[in-house]
Amino acid sequence: MIMKTIVLMISLILCNLSFGQKAPKKYETAVIKTSSQCGDCKKRIEDGLNYTKGIKFAELNLEENTVSVKYQVSKITLEGVKKALNAIGYDADELKAPEEAVKKLPACCQPGGMEK
Amino acid sequence: MKSTLFILFCLFCINNHFAQVKGIVFGYSESGREPLKLAKIKLLNKGTGTTSNEEGRFELLLPKKLPDTLVISATGFITDSLIVTESDRFISLEIRLYSNKLLPDLVISYKKASHSISRLKTLHVEELTSGELRKAACCNLSESFETNASVDVNITDAVSGAKKIQMMGLDGVYTQIQMENIPYLRGLESAFGLNSLPGTWIESIQITKGTGNVVNGFESMAGLINLELKKPTEMEKLYLNGYLSAFGRTELNVNAGQLISKKWSTGTFAHASGMFGDMDNNNDGFRDVPKGNNLAIFNRWAFQGKKMEAQMGINGYWDQKFGGQNGYNPNINDGKYGVNIDSKHIDAFAKTGFFLKKESNSIGVVYHAKYQEIDAKFGNRFFNGSESRALINAIYDGIISNYDHKIKIGASALYTNINQYTGTLKALRTEYIPGIFSEYTYTGMRLTTVGGFRLDYHNLYGFQFSPRIHLKYLITQQTDLRLTAGKGWRVPNYMIDNISLLASSKTWIEPQKIVPEVSWNFGGSLVQYFEWWNRKASITLDFYHTFFENQLIVDRDESGTAVVFKNYSGTSFSNSIQTELSFEPFRNFEIRLAYKYLDVKAEFGGKLQQQVMIPKQRGFINLGYITRNKRWEYNTTLSVFGKSRLPGYDTSGLIAYSEVYPMLNAQITYVYKRWDFYIGGENLNNFKQRNAIVSANNPFGPSFDATEIWGPVMGINVYAGFRFAINRKKDKN
Repeated sequence: MIMKTIVLMISLILCNLSFGQKAPKKYETAVIKTSSQCGDCKKRIEDGLNYTKGIKFAELNLEENTVSVKYQVSKITLEGVKKALNAIGYDADELKAPEEAVKKLPACCQPGGMEK
Repeated sequence: MKSTLFILFCLFCINNHFAQVKGIVFGYSESGREPLKLAKIKLLNKGTGTTSNEEGRFELLLPKKLPDTLVISATGFITDSLIVTESDRFISLEIRLYSNKLLPDLVISYKKASHSISRLKTLHVEELTSGELRKAACCNLSESFETNASVDVNITDAVSGAKKIQMMGLDGVYTQIQMENIPYLRGLESAFGLNSLPGTWIESIQITKGTGNVVNGFESMAGLINLELKKPTEMEKLYLNGYLSAFGRTELNVNAGQLISKKWSTGTFAHASGMFGDMDNNNDGFRDVPKGNNLAIFNRWAFQGKKMEAQMGINGYWDQKFGGQNGYNPNINDGKYGVNIDSKHIDAFAKTGFFLKKESNSIGVVYHAKYQEIDAKFGNRFFNGSESRALINAIYDGIISNYDHKIKIGASALYTNINQYTGTLKALRTEYIPGIFSEYTYTGMRLTTVGGFRLDYHNLYGFQFSPRIHLKYLITQQTDLRLTAGKGWRVPNYMIDNISLLASSKTWIEPQKIVPEVSWNFGGSLVQYFEWWNRKASITLDFYHTFFENQLIVDRDESGTAVVFKNYSGTSFSNSIQTELSFEPFRNFEIRLAYKYLDVKAEFGGKLQQQVMIPKQRGFINLGYITRNKRWEYNTTLSVFGKSRLPGYDTSGLIAYSEVYPMLNAQITYVYKRWDFYIGGENLNNFKQRNAIVSANNPFGPSFDATEIWGPVMGINVYAGFRFAINRKKDKN
């Protein structure tokens, strides 16, 4: 009984670990400088990018205002990732976010929102 | 020499490379959100601090030694704190302080660990937030504690499917369960109350070990559990949840919240569930879980005005269950052993808060009224009960000279009329309990003290005085020590508290007299925070001792043919030691380990021995993992329950013990935008207690007993479900 339990647990853990480690060559990781300011931005950016096709995961580092993105090369380009970030309302390296997208951001995420 | 000095100087400079934290403080009050000027921001350990400027902004240099605790306070707002670590350097924080006139909601808008011990609280409070509650998707309050080691949930008998909690090895009746600070599950609800609160209504749960504060009543003897339900001001616009299990349980929950105007908001909660399957996994001829239907509805309102604030709600509940031998139908009299439980209640509550001229002072009044009925049948034994009760509790909240000294003074009045009948026995009682209380809180840099007392007058038993004290001392910036001592009491309802013992042929011998149960609890806890692999970790150790001055003992050892209820003022105590370690070996992968040792003794069958059905030891491991894109959540809990003593009346002195058994639960959740889909399993190791029902083939015979239960009667259960939520949009301001 206990053996069975242990085997089950280990298989569950392995299940967890193997996720996110599939065929590394198909993926690229990029670090993009962006214009995030607060926790709300973090949630918006991560939610937005994580539901973009081809993106494996996106994590925002608020200290450095950078997004780490792992994406599938066959489905999206780095350019595409940056455009997706622009569409959410944030700058991506050299690409600036369009004004209409910025307007949709909550107050604290607007440019200078944290200084208000 | 000079160059060495220069190098040292440079190194010094590098080391002293100042890190700073920036942020903005917002105050949330009845008039909405605005930046707070002159809020105090203080580093607890370093002792340095600053105040926010006109726009609510602040900057503060962080010390070299991190983590430290940042405490943010402002006049008229509830003080909050958060831990700043190395990774918080250069970060911008948005801090929300809630007006102390708002009802005591959750206050930290910062991302919280889903299971955390609040560092600012003097009482040892464990908080289960919605993140933790997601981990065990099914179904009602009794399942909410599955991933928690402090509260044990036990099946009471093999036929009714009812579950009860225990804290410190003491029956759930010694734990006060309150709903938003209103004593809630008491009296007639002690038996089936946990099943009456759907899990989807609950926003968070706070668990306090030991006697709680005096403000909300006298009944917290072993612990205090507070439930916060979803608030109309913040809840989802629409929330749907559906659930289906292999056992044939189906469930549907619909919650909807609406902001009607700037001041008014409302929330409606509806729950319907049914158990349709005829499950007899252990082939003993009895249904493992009763069939039945259940409906619950709750409507609540909130009003936020300039001078006052109010919350009110009404709740109705209806539940019908029937179990027993396979094929039993309550409408057909074919001589089968059947169990019927019909339970219904309606209750209404209101809370009003008035702000006084002086910002720091307020008056809150809580009203609650409830009516309920339970009719139950176990074979040829019947129980009928009804209860009506009403409560008013008024609290004045103020400060003495400054916010370091807070005081609460109040008065309460409780009316209960509870009538219970079983067989030829009856217990009828009408109670009027007026009471007064006062609580003083001192908040210092390192020491926080809460001292309080309450004095209640019971129309049948006279005065009861209950003093309570709690201390918290920060030994170092990462070590919290808490101590508590206090008294609690309650008037027992031996029938409903032990209704599951009717599922047996043992006759009941009623107590000669019923007097209040009185207990004292002493204990303490030590929490140490540290870092492993640069991620937060903590270890908790606690010890509590409870002893009864007087207790209503359920003696199942004195006789082989009867359950003896008696009032007992001899030695009866519980010692509980618990230790818990939590850490994160990989990013997003959390491990929690807990171990608990319980020593619960009283005089049973004429000698001092371990309480029956309480495992002396329990171990627990919980693993949780969330993928980096936050789309998948995995959660596994393995509990191991040690031996517990079984009721025995062997004259040779032999004591029978239960087996050691494991219990494995696991769940996987997939998040897609507004949708969550989950699939999970309970008791995956398929453990079933053998001979859960003694003499199952002769249910009306003299030795039939379905109450000697210490483990699961059902095998593997697999379930699946979904959640769909439309969240309210954030204010654009």
